Amino acid sequence: MRTVLAMGRPRAFDEDEVVRAAVGLFGGRAYDGVSVDDLVTHLGVHRNSLYKTFGSKRGLYLIALRRHLADDVRPLLDALADAKDAEGALRLVTSADLRLLLLAAIERSPVDEEVAFEVTSALDSVDRAIADALGVPTDVATALTAAALGILLRGNPDKVATALTRHLGPLTRKGT
Amino acid sequence: MASMRITDGHLEVVMEGLDKLWTFRTRLTIPLANVRGATVDPGIASDFKGVRAPGTHIPGLIIAGTFHHDGDKVFWHVKDASKAIVVELADEEYTRLVLQVDDPRAAVALVENALA
Repeated sequence: MRTVLAMGRPRAFDEDEVVRAAVGLFGGRAYDGVSVDDLVTHLGVHRNSLYKTFGSKRGLYLIALRRHLADDVRPLLDALADAKDAEGALRLVTSADLRLLLLAAIERSPVDEEVAFEVTSALDSVDRAIADALGVPTDVATALTAAALGILLRGNPDKVATALTRHLGPLTRKGT
Repeated sequence: MASMRITDGHLEVVMEGLDKLWTFRTRLTIPLANVRGATVDPGIASDFKGVRAPGTHIPGLIIAGTFHHDGDKVFWHVKDASKAIVVELADEEYTRLVLQVDDPRAAVALVENALA
């Protein structure tokens, strides 16, 4: 009976899995670097189903971006809440998987208002999480986030983060 | 070739040139509320298009008219596949339009910005 019910509502693909795979694809190759052919090949979904489910490549991209924020940025915010000092906060941000967020900020935010809104909100949340955890003003937290993202982009997290935080000793809850 | 413009909350698609003789439809007007999105998709022409009725598919020359695929009714008007875009619709006669436009990226931006 259960089988019959399951067959009554056939699903051509697992939408959840497809969106997660799209996060990886867009996060690795950027929006313009992923064609519909790439989506069909790598997500294993027929073109018709892609258009039917998501409406457009941009429709899928927006859903993937929000999924990335929920799956990858949200846990970072939770972890930041327990950060004890600037070094800890920097380490958390520079070790998080923020590829799609960074690419979205550079590539799509300037041309897509909805993407810009999501990116800005996410980065604001990171700022607030750092400000709350370390007990520092928001603009100082924003500077820390900016430094962390810059370090992430430069691809040399450990060494640079340590050098920076060595001079930020007082930036801890205990120190303020 | 098709040209597109946004007027009074509608997406207007006009088939241009002699090719329009193949499509049986020279103009489509769709309320923006029924437009789900637009995508640059040069690869779609080499994908399975379904059964044509009424339509014309002369391989290497033109894909034009109405095609049925998996229960979807798709309108095609494409000669040069490298300039194809897909416009996904809801609650319309056609599920999807596959159109050749002069500037695919600009055409997609036009539609997407009108929806935002």
